[in-house]
Amino acid sequence: MNMNTITKLTANLWVRIAFGVVVAAVLVVLPLISSKFVNYQLGLMAVFAVAILGLNIVMGYAGQVSLGQSAFLGLGAYIAAYLVTADLGIPEPLVVPVSLVLCAVIPAAVGLVVALAAARLRGLALAMVTIALPIIGIPLAKRFREYTGGAQGTTVSWLRAPDWAEGFLENDQWRYYVVVLIAVLMFLLARNLVRGRMGRAFRIVKENESVAIAMGISPYRYKVMAFTIASLFGGVAGFMYLGVVQYTSPETLSFHTSINMVAAMVIGGSASILGTIFGAIYFVLVPSVANEVDSSLTALISGAILLAVLFLVPGGVVSLPRRISQVARGLARRRGGEAPQNPSDPAHAPVTTGPESTEKNKGKRQGQ
Amino acid sequence: MMNFRNAGRISGVVATGAIAALLITGCSRGDDGTGEPDAPSPGITDTTLSLGISSPLSGPTAGPGSCSVAGLYTYLEAKNADGGFEFGDGNTREVTLTYLDDVYDPAKAVSNFRQMVDDGIFAYVGALGTPTNAAILPIAQEEEVPQVLLITGATMFSSNQEENPYTFGLLPTYYSEGFAFGELLAERGEVTVATLAQNDDYGDDYLAGFEAAIDGSDVQIVASATYEPSDPTLDSQVTELAASGADALLSAVSVTPLQVGVLTKAQSLGWTPDIFLPSNTSTPATVVVPGNGAAYPAVYSTSLTKVPVSPAFAEDEDVIAYNEAFELYGKTITETYTPHCAWSYAEGAILEQAFLKMTEPTRANFLEALHSIEDFQAPLLLDGITVNTTDPTLPAIQGINLVQFNGQGYGPVQ
Repeated sequence: MNMNTITKLTANLWVRIAFGVVVAAVLVVLPLISSKFVNYQLGLMAVFAVAILGLNIVMGYAGQVSLGQSAFLGLGAYIAAYLVTADLGIPEPLVVPVSLVLCAVIPAAVGLVVALAAARLRGLALAMVTIALPIIGIPLAKRFREYTGGAQGTTVSWLRAPDWAEGFLENDQWRYYVVVLIAVLMFLLARNLVRGRMGRAFRIVKENESVAIAMGISPYRYKVMAFTIASLFGGVAGFMYLGVVQYTSPETLSFHTSINMVAAMVIGGSASILGTIFGAIYFVLVPSVANEVDSSLTALISGAILLAVLFLVPGGVVSLPRRISQVARGLARRRGGEAPQNPSDPAHAPVTTGPESTEKNKGKRQGQ
Repeated sequence: MMNFRNAGRISGVVATGAIAALLITGCSRGDDGTGEPDAPSPGITDTTLSLGISSPLSGPTAGPGSCSVAGLYTYLEAKNADGGFEFGDGNTREVTLTYLDDVYDPAKAVSNFRQMVDDGIFAYVGALGTPTNAAILPIAQEEEVPQVLLITGATMFSSNQEENPYTFGLLPTYYSEGFAFGELLAERGEVTVATLAQNDDYGDDYLAGFEAAIDGSDVQIVASATYEPSDPTLDSQVTELAASGADALLSAVSVTPLQVGVLTKAQSLGWTPDIFLPSNTSTPATVVVPGNGAAYPAVYSTSLTKVPVSPAFAEDEDVIAYNEAFELYGKTITETYTPHCAWSYAEGAILEQAFLKMTEPTRANFLEALHSIEDFQAPLLLDGITVNTTDPTLPAIQGINLVQFNGQGYGPVQ
């Protein structure tokens, strides 16, 4: 089957609906037949998918370097932990929704304040400001011990399966459903966002700020917007993190996590919603895979996998099908066979502008 | 070609059917065979027993993390090669160790723990790290998996046995280390002390122990300062403390380069008090020698074990056995020695004692056996330091030996 048939297939409404139904069915059924360990891993993937999605909006779509996403993840987790453990007089059934809202609002507000100052900077200077967030966050988390539990962190026991689900849903399954539901909603939100007016503005700001100004789009405003949205996603991911891991400590904010999330985003596919999911799967699975191979060499193995992916599919895992057909065409041409002409489908372009445009450029350069 | 409309409908029907089928079968998941009380726990047969550990094997804490696995692995494999472990029920079992890397990340540690529980480990032993173990603690209680002999000085793991009956630590707490220093000074009479402590639970535990010991004595704290582990230098804190001219400095600094900086800065200011170093930043080769500890009248620290790499212990039987076995097994995990290697090696011997007392192949019986060891002189532990597990609210090793720097290594306090 060549690319043309695939594009035609994906364009068909019924196929899309069927695909959606199958994905939904798999997401619903998976936790029921999986062990607690698998459910935990799946939950973590949902958590980091949302965090990386936020990162992708600010880095992939709006083109601004952010190395501080773990700070918002940690902030969200701490807010949820505090609301769950402290006795603030919030009625029992409202604790979860209230903390979810606050986990979105407070990190977004913090992100907004930081971005108002930081978005005036460009490139490396901006990256430096974002690096500072986890570096400041860790000592703060240790110092405000009454709220954070200090270096030992806070252990919680919440998001347990409700009473009406007793007998057919266990805690891990319930937690999975909650976080996956939130993740699905966040993904729908992000999808609408990047496909709409704001997404287009982000892309223009990323490509050329002068053009953006000429078109009446304020780069500053949209950069601040992208940062704020990324912080909101980070905070929500923090809420989900506390739901899955049931624990938070200064380690959650660790700068290392930020860097790994950036790597996962690039590997999955920059400026791609689908790529974000691949990135999250990579983020959670690779350490486990490396552990399976040889647990005393995990850093080495993870590094090797990272390099291999970047060499083989520079546009991220999401560009794999295109990359395969590219390589196949190249081979066919070398054998003397006439390669089928295959102009990229315009319907596809808006989803994956980033990698696709670079691929096209490459093709041009090779052709010259 | 297939009609897409039909394809869509068919896959929808198939998916719905699949959900229904799985919903029905799926509900029976998760019966772990915990029904009968006498049934063997997971991870144990008549000939084998499997243990698990998750520690940082890469990243900044890789050194201590690898050693906390390597020493235990060495002890277990050497004993397995020797025919296996004898158990109280008359069986001889081979004890295997699964070890995974968590990079000091609590989320990964939980993931590793869950994976190993899925794979059917009998017990989780000797893991290093306060945050990682804290994250696992509630899950260990929920899954009823022993999480024992942990390599951490935090008091939280052993103190609450009513809520956390499946968890307890191996090492003396930071509190008891600080207490030992305080006791030494309290005996001396009138002494002034300056304290420098990390601004978190680690530093607090240390100071609390020290203050408890000097309470009511003539020892007086005349200056105190705190720092953050991320501080680039502690020069300003040391300068401030030096102004007090105290007779002794309790330097509860856990970061190696910072501790070296404290030692060099104080002497450059002409302040040479007696120095008290915590056990994790007192290694001669990396701290005291680079910091020119010889300039001070006395440098004290605490020690639990003989040092296998030190010539002072080269003739010791335990050390010879350890070095031979480590060459064969531990080397595959790490080549650099930290005290954690010796601690986890001793931990292997403590487990062996518990196995000898185990009469039933259950986790409950294992915990019972593990809590009934009295005055056991584990290999590599210094003379006078013994293992006592009968008080479950305390870690397995409580004794602390104060030692004094003698130019090359540590010797008895003079």
